[in-house]
Amino acid sequence: MHSLVHPNVWVCLRLPSDSLKIIQVVPNTIVSLGKYGSFPANLIIERPYNLTYELLDRKPGHKDSELRIVPAAELHADTIAEEEAAKNPNGTEGEDKITIGGDGVEFQLVGENGEVIMRSNRETIDDSARQTLTMEEIEELKREGTGAGKDLIAKLMASHLGLDQKTAFSLAKYKLLKTKKYLRRFTILPVDVPMLTTWMMEEKDASKILELREEMLALIGSWSNVHFSEMPIDTGTGDGRWLVVDETGGLLAAALAERMGILYPSPSDLSPQNSEEESYRHAEPPLATSNTITLIHNNTQPNLSLLKYFSYDPTATSTSPTHPLSTHLHPLSWLQLLHPENDTVYSTPIEPVSPETLQSYKSGKRGTYYRKLRRHNRIKTIVDSTLAGGFSGLVIASHMDPVSILRHTIPLLRGGAQIAIYSPTIEPLVTLSDIYSTSRRTAFIQSPPLSFLSLQTPEERSQWQGDDDFPLNPTLLLNTSVQSARIREWQVLPGRTHPVMTAKGGAEGYLFTATRVLPAEGKVEARGKFARKKTEVKSANGNREPANKKMKVDGAVVEGDVDPMTAAALETVETQNAAFENAVKEDGSGVEVQMS
Amino acid sequence: MASKTSPFLFSGPVSSADKLSIVHLKRDLQIPTILKEHDEDDEGYTEGKVVNTRFGSFPHTTLIGLPWGSQVRASKVDTGSRGRRVKGQDKKRKREESVPEGPNKTPKLEDDEADASTPTTTKEESEVVAASSGFIHLLPPTPENWTSSLPHRTQVVYTPDYSYILHRIRARPGTQIIEAGAGSGSFTHASARAAFSGYPGSEGTNGSATKKRKLGKVWSFEFHEQRHEKLQKEIQDHGLEGIVQITHRDVCEGGFLVDGQSPGAESIFLDLPAPWLALPHLSRSRPPKSACGSNPASPTDDTTPFISPLNPTTPVHICTFSPCIEQVQRTISVLRKLGWVDIQMVELSQKRFEIRRERIGIANGTERGLQLTPASVDEALARLMEVEGTFKAFHENGEKVESNKKDKVNPNNREKIMESLVERKVYKEGRLVHRTEPEVKTHTSYLVFAILPIEWSEEDERKAREKWEVEMRVEDEVKVEDGGEVKMNKKARKKAAAEARKAAAAGVKAEGGDDPTEVKVEET
Repeated sequence: MHSLVHPNVWVCLRLPSDSLKIIQVVPNTIVSLGKYGSFPANLIIERPYNLTYELLDRKPGHKDSELRIVPAAELHADTIAEEEAAKNPNGTEGEDKITIGGDGVEFQLVGENGEVIMRSNRETIDDSARQTLTMEEIEELKREGTGAGKDLIAKLMASHLGLDQKTAFSLAKYKLLKTKKYLRRFTILPVDVPMLTTWMMEEKDASKILELREEMLALIGSWSNVHFSEMPIDTGTGDGRWLVVDETGGLLAAALAERMGILYPSPSDLSPQNSEEESYRHAEPPLATSNTITLIHNNTQPNLSLLKYFSYDPTATSTSPTHPLSTHLHPLSWLQLLHPENDTVYSTPIEPVSPETLQSYKSGKRGTYYRKLRRHNRIKTIVDSTLAGGFSGLVIASHMDPVSILRHTIPLLRGGAQIAIYSPTIEPLVTLSDIYSTSRRTAFIQSPPLSFLSLQTPEERSQWQGDDDFPLNPTLLLNTSVQSARIREWQVLPGRTHPVMTAKGGAEGYLFTATRVLPAEGKVEARGKFARKKTEVKSANGNREPANKKMKVDGAVVEGDVDPMTAAALETVETQNAAFENAVKEDGSGVEVQMS
Repeated sequence: MASKTSPFLFSGPVSSADKLSIVHLKRDLQIPTILKEHDEDDEGYTEGKVVNTRFGSFPHTTLIGLPWGSQVRASKVDTGSRGRRVKGQDKKRKREESVPEGPNKTPKLEDDEADASTPTTTKEESEVVAASSGFIHLLPPTPENWTSSLPHRTQVVYTPDYSYILHRIRARPGTQIIEAGAGSGSFTHASARAAFSGYPGSEGTNGSATKKRKLGKVWSFEFHEQRHEKLQKEIQDHGLEGIVQITHRDVCEGGFLVDGQSPGAESIFLDLPAPWLALPHLSRSRPPKSACGSNPASPTDDTTPFISPLNPTTPVHICTFSPCIEQVQRTISVLRKLGWVDIQMVELSQKRFEIRRERIGIANGTERGLQLTPASVDEALARLMEVEGTFKAFHENGEKVESNKKDKVNPNNREKIMESLVERKVYKEGRLVHRTEPEVKTHTSYLVFAILPIEWSEEDERKAREKWEVEMRVEDEVKVEDGGEVKMNKKARKKAAAEARKAAAAGVKAEGGDDPTEVKVEET
């Protein structure tokens, strides 16, 4: 997918300091990397991604540098040399020889007299060079800038008075530190969702994306079961429609779109457009009915600013009509969802105009007419299809109270739909989980509120808006769970393997997951294990087999601890009792019981 | 073939026969079941095929055609007599088979089969009757609930791990994924979902899609024969044929080509005991001997042409999954020698949380789920006062306070609990707290990630340079463009400084000048 850097795409440059910089590669322009130098953009266009380049020394009279691809062997030379040295200790006893630098700089530390001998094929530095360089001298070296900073680093190390006191490891660390500061290299990386997430977290304002780390983003994608699901033959069932509430500037939508295969336009999609007049008349391709994201936003326009890195701009539909998102991303506001009649665009039909009158319009007016018509039709289609429900999943990353979102969105989900709600802090999810606690659900089943009972049809009941005791109908979600994940990065170097010393703090990030279910009509009795009274249950017909006998069911071993046939009569009262007792107890002691 | 879509990818609105569905009993207890109209295995139930659970029995006929997510009541099924007897016979027969009896083995088997099949051929599958209690929920399969319910064959790659791995190795619709060490198949299912972009033969059938879509595929390898067979059957049963191709092979020995063809992989996941032995096969061109170590099977043999299993036009992302740090070190060492870049190692920790209400207080006696300590100083004080009062009364008047134990009713019988739930609304009492669940997976494996960029030859570079001509900005040019006075001065100053430096450089030979040609001369 990301094979070559195409002109005008956004790419990410990783500098030696590990900072990331996102730039647009415009042909015939200059890319400036600040203190590291600058180079013409044409030098990286249609070159592969993931390569590391070195800015060569500027030729006399030139303002910008040429680039050189640094082969992987050179990048790893230091470490490989170190490894080899560790494998074949050929030094004499008491001598600690460490090679730090496949770029030819080799250190030989002699413990006895504390003298440092350095050998290099690039330059030799005599004893008089064992001086600390002054600020001016360093500045001058930087200006000279030979060997992409490698000379400078070598000199800095040579001039370090305390070098002989350093251990091998601190020496390596010192070199790394200087490398990060002075080496003139960069790596070119594609801007995709993982990269964008890292960039937002580390370089930009992490709170703008709700501090959504990569691992949490990946977890959201899995638990919401978002995947490519364009129907082979459009059966009208509309499989694979996801409902999304995204307040991360489009990052969540981008991550889901990436999983659905609708984020990256193929190069042919970005071919130049027809003339403007033509595009007015050109009917938009119909909105997709499967493999879609329906995005509910709180402002008049959705904030999807991060999608610009994927060549999609939702505010200017004419700029990207062939982008897959323009047919698969369906934005609508809460107003359009809950009170469409109050929304002007939705509720004002566009008067049809006869072709003759249309011809008489000036080009500008005709354009406006087409634009209005398209906008109205689009919103009408989106709102109507959203209200029809049947969504395969719901994904939320929002500042809003999840309870208020779920109240309006659960009825739109079909049975078996997956729900994934991300929150930077756990408190909103704790409150939400409590609404689905076992005891609250039991209470709801035992005596549903009158406002709920007065509703007759299952449809009406699924729309029930909740009350004080039951803010949401607790029987509509199954398997509610809250989890979190975090990665820990390690440094793996010969003899120096350990987790990295510092990491970003901030919000931990939590994920609430659940499955939408369809409760059976009427009362349903739970059946549970009732250890205390089980021994008293005597066989009704005398041939009861011992409980807890393992039965094999479809390859899986299942414990059959209640024999329905023989115990059925006795069970009803007793296990109900057990179930409720245990249901309450279950919270604390984890006793095995079915949750109703 | 194309008509049999996978329930993992297209669940449809209702459950249907011959497709996998998940019978959900309770949290972390789910039974995957392929729904059958009729009992082909002949387990002897009058209702046809039946799922037996601790919460009751569920004939498949009551589960087919239901909207997903439906709550289903248990049915009255006679598991006692017929069900068990047949099972017993099964076991007995197996035992007999294992005895090497030679001549009378064949007739005996026939006898048994006849015995077992007679009752079912005559038997009508009866109507089911709902039981008074017990229920399950019927859910569509997803890689997540499959992972938590699949039959374990090896250590399973769990959801947090595979989510992150697939995200990092850029597994997206249309990707060719190599998975080596399929194991229990949880990663196989998750990666199939990630790579899926249509069934073979479906390209362009969807009216609007005129352009050909690249179809993603999972190239799976498993060296254990039984596991391979089981996974092969699962893939068929789950309708994932054409999306997952599983090969029985030890990739460290045999490499990754399938029928001599390259899978053209873009994303690779290695869950092997020694991933470094498989790495030399995953090169763009024949790897150097030095990088392969002592592995005799590494592809350094010059007699056969080397075919790379990788896609030559995209960068390749890899992840290896190893529990031990020593494995990681060896893997990374080989990755470095083979030219992989951006090597990173991480571990992932996951926690699930228990959320409940903590009720503290002495007011309600011995009710369950209640921490029996005073909730506040006031409550403690009131209690102390009460005790003090009782003592006083006893010592002064010799009065024994009558125990009011008899008045106390067991607060844990059903009526009381229902009352506390419905009337007192105990579900709203207490403080809402969260804590990590009792058991935490503190270590699954270390994840090593790396990227292999596209090979870029000098010829490629020359072509690119021809197409995208580079015009270097020259200092003078700039001077003409924005020749402001200040700038000029600065330039002049810089130039002077450079000249001074040059003079100095001439003295110190080692430092070289800022003229690259000069450096080169010195080096040669």
